[in-house]
Amino acid sequence: MKLNVGGLIVYFPYDYIYPEQYAYMCELKKALDAKGHCLLEMPSGTGKTTTLLSLVVAYMLENPHDVRKLIYCSRTVPEIEKVMEELKKLLLYYEKQDGEYPHLVGLVLSSRKNLCIHPEVSTEREGKIVDGKCHSLTASYIRERHNYDDTTPICQYYEGFSLDGKESTMPYGVYSIDDLKQYGRDRNWCPYFLSRFVINHANIVVYSYHYLLDPKIAEVVSKELTKESVVIFDEAHNIDNVCIDSMSVKVNKRIIDRATENINLLERTVAEMREDDHKKLQDEYQRLVEGLRDASVARETDVILSNPVLPDAILTEAVPGNIRNAEHFISFLKRFIEYLKTRLRVQHVVQESPAGFLKDIQTKVCIERKPLRFCAERLASLLRTLEISDLTDFSPVILITHLATLVATYTKGFTIIVEPFDDKTPTVSNPILHVSCLDSSIAIKPVFDRFQTVVITSGTLSPMDMYPKILNFHPVIMSSFTMTLARPCLLPMIVSKGNDQVAISSKYETREDNAVIRNYGQLLVEVAANVPDGIVCFFTSYLYLESVVASWYDQGVIDSLQRYKLLFIETQDSAETSFALMYYIKACESGRGAVLLSVARGKVSEGVDFDHHLGRAVLMFGIPYVYTQSRILKARLDYLRDQFQIKENDFLTFDAMRHAAQCVGRAIRGKTDYGIMIFADKRFSRSDKRSKLPKWIQEHLKDSLTNLSTEEAVQIAKRWLRQMAQPFTREDQLGVSLLTLEQLQSLEASKIQEQAQQN
Amino acid sequence: MEDFTCPRCKTSKFQNPSLKMMVNVCGHGLCESCVDLLFLKGSGSCPECRIPLRRNNFRIQLFEDANVEKEVDIRKRVLRDFNKKEEDFGSLAEYNDYLEEVETIIYNLANNIDIVNTNKKIEQYKRDNREQILKSKGKLGREEYELEEMLEFEKQQTELRKQEIIMEETETKKKKIREKEALIDELMFSTENAKNIVETFAQQAKEAKEEEAKAAPAKKTHFSSGIQIGRQSQSTFLPVPAEDGPLFVYKPFVMQTDGPKLPNDEDVIIKGYTNHVRSENEQERAGGFRSNIACMRALQDAFSGLYHVRKAPVH
Repeated sequence: MKLNVGGLIVYFPYDYIYPEQYAYMCELKKALDAKGHCLLEMPSGTGKTTTLLSLVVAYMLENPHDVRKLIYCSRTVPEIEKVMEELKKLLLYYEKQDGEYPHLVGLVLSSRKNLCIHPEVSTEREGKIVDGKCHSLTASYIRERHNYDDTTPICQYYEGFSLDGKESTMPYGVYSIDDLKQYGRDRNWCPYFLSRFVINHANIVVYSYHYLLDPKIAEVVSKELTKESVVIFDEAHNIDNVCIDSMSVKVNKRIIDRATENINLLERTVAEMREDDHKKLQDEYQRLVEGLRDASVARETDVILSNPVLPDAILTEAVPGNIRNAEHFISFLKRFIEYLKTRLRVQHVVQESPAGFLKDIQTKVCIERKPLRFCAERLASLLRTLEISDLTDFSPVILITHLATLVATYTKGFTIIVEPFDDKTPTVSNPILHVSCLDSSIAIKPVFDRFQTVVITSGTLSPMDMYPKILNFHPVIMSSFTMTLARPCLLPMIVSKGNDQVAISSKYETREDNAVIRNYGQLLVEVAANVPDGIVCFFTSYLYLESVVASWYDQGVIDSLQRYKLLFIETQDSAETSFALMYYIKACESGRGAVLLSVARGKVSEGVDFDHHLGRAVLMFGIPYVYTQSRILKARLDYLRDQFQIKENDFLTFDAMRHAAQCVGRAIRGKTDYGIMIFADKRFSRSDKRSKLPKWIQEHLKDSLTNLSTEEAVQIAKRWLRQMAQPFTREDQLGVSLLTLEQLQSLEASKIQEQAQQN
Repeated sequence: MEDFTCPRCKTSKFQNPSLKMMVNVCGHGLCESCVDLLFLKGSGSCPECRIPLRRNNFRIQLFEDANVEKEVDIRKRVLRDFNKKEEDFGSLAEYNDYLEEVETIIYNLANNIDIVNTNKKIEQYKRDNREQILKSKGKLGREEYELEEMLEFEKQQTELRKQEIIMEETETKKKKIREKEALIDELMFSTENAKNIVETFAQQAKEAKEEEAKAAPAKKTHFSSGIQIGRQSQSTFLPVPAEDGPLFVYKPFVMQTDGPKLPNDEDVIIKGYTNHVRSENEQERAGGFRSNIACMRALQDAFSGLYHVRKAPVH
């Protein structure tokens, strides 16, 4: 249908539209008009993706000069594929309506592992190996060598692409991963390099978060994207953690040892080259004397995204004299690594600011701050010069230089923590040095600065005022949309006590209490006896899951549970977990259903959907707080309080509640779906926790559902399930939660907005 | 240092957990007991390279790599003399060249390349720059100074934070006790319905909480005036005070000389007054002093007060 959103004609590829989708479009259009950033929350299963795509594409076609490009960032490959599906549908709809395919190119960029079509390389399973093999076939010096030595293997697809791929333009259309591969095979072009080349002028780019947020990757991939872009971060409730991870470095003994090997290899290679090919090193030296000037020119003309790891300051300066020479640089690295080794030789936890670290390194091994700052760049230059072609993995030493550069560049927002052992195994010495980023706004700042509109959206962003604070930006629009429903298809309940009136809670003091564990078990058994098909349970940690299951064995809970349903358990091993998931789905589809025990923040809680019969009930056993004793978390909390005036407890509760919401939100994936959400912890009924749940859950969480015992909860669930089991047709939804074009037009736009938008 | 063994007695860290490795200028390691044994007299030679060594030069080995240990030792020694800072150079390129030169010296010494010449070079440098070396001793470079300042600032901050937290805690504790007491008093003596009283108190507590949430603490500056101390403030000047009143208007100053009319500037030159005063020398002219000014000044002095009549004192 064709909609009119604030004067803009939007093609929507379906016959019906949800009221909240329309409201979402209205808000998004305002943000695009204002050229500002926005934060939008809409429940999962209400068609965020297609709404976003149809509005932005319409806007792009209408105002081609204001918005030139749409960058859609998602988390996983399946999610990216889903986006491509929707986009294909949308553009085909345009063709059907207008009789002409819109002049847009949309494509996906993924890793080499997913895009490679080379017969040998593509058989590799691990991403790193694929990258390494690809590099050994396509690096510039390899291809040069091939020119005079035919035995050097090269990649025919890359050659094909570099021969004539760069001059041609791709025909209009949408290219998913498979389409790209097919396109590459037809023309003998490498799909990966094709896609990397084409994203610079494609209209719609879909890729993973990391291509934009991880400074090391963004430097290579995304730096030339135009300013007039709309960037969308979908499923962005964890975006602050992604930012922090991308700027943090963790070094342990193994990495140090491998880095030492790397350096020894580098030293040998430099010595050989000094004898054989003196000129190359001399050239490099000359280049370094002159400074990294070309890079600085590029940055000044604003053609690239700035890189937080490579600060502006070092581009304008020449590399310091004491690391200009290759030999000197290697001895510099050696000293740095020896220093790190001495730091790892600790008996107790040490926490330090970057300034303290720099001072210490100055007194111990006479390394100043300035050469440290240039470390990463200098190594990159050396590796380019040395042209080492065999498959050595230089990532350890590269990691070390990143650490050096980060420490020397940022004196604020970072902390250095050395832990002599893992918290779980305090007897085994396993020292780790963390250079931990505390400020999530550092990594995302270039994105906010560079692109005119950044949309952060997810099903669970509550409480929304936290995100602008921790990411340090000013959204022009901040809205939360609820789900309009024709029937109460979700039933959130807070179970605070068992049948014996013992309060249940995963609080540290009571979590090992037998009564609490027994009550959790009883709750699960009762639910399993009454709820059809699949049930998913979330625990707060793997450790707790294990101890609870062990107790349940002793108490006979497992036996009585298996009388009703099969039992599957998520483990830390991802292969095992995918097996468990596979059989869980099989069991749900063929038998009386199954129970899946999993962990909040685990693999299942993020990205696996339990729609319809796969998840009729979700149980959240306890509040999924992070491990609060972790040094890094403590440092981050301190930083948040000092810099952003966020109290520790507020942040911890915020973090716990967004994960809880994420877990229970797995069950409802659409309006025809229905599911029970049980929060089994006394503390959930407190207002500070409840108020942090997303609006669309809070709405259904009436006071009468907040302080239940197991028995009461099961009674309510029984009644509700009977109600939900009645046939439900589209006619029931029409006019309430589903609108045709006529209905939409007849209702005043403002009225719908009022209905769907809560704040 | 787990896999360390003494090259002489072959004791490893595993056999003797308290094993301490020592190292001397040559960079070869020995365990502590071997050092005690071999260098009983206070001097001896290295068992590996036969270099004569003195016992009190032995240090505990800090780094695993003996070469690095040796290099750091040499570096510290060399940098004691080569202590110029970036500020001592006119341009960055010069500084970088200097750094590279120092680095080359250290590299040569550490890897036994051309030691004789290198040592000569160091001596030469020491002779040439004796004064400067003494002057820069103990002086901190700009970056080091900044680091120091940062550390100092961090220390202050943590101290402040600690105090704040303690204050806050005691404050909240006191407040809670006060509120509780007030509630109990009210319940004891008031004639109102107990339920109402409890409700109003709960309401008040809620409101207080909200208020607290609203009043986020303001960001702290260093001084109440907002001026930052230290180097970072050098780049920015004090704020120019805004001018509010009417602008200043210049009025020429009229001098009451009580004497005959003075010749003006031109007359002093034309009428030859300047012939009677010393003409200015080069330095004086550079400073802006001309002989006519001095002459003028002398005339003013001479003429002023010539016609002065002493007024009768008022009684």
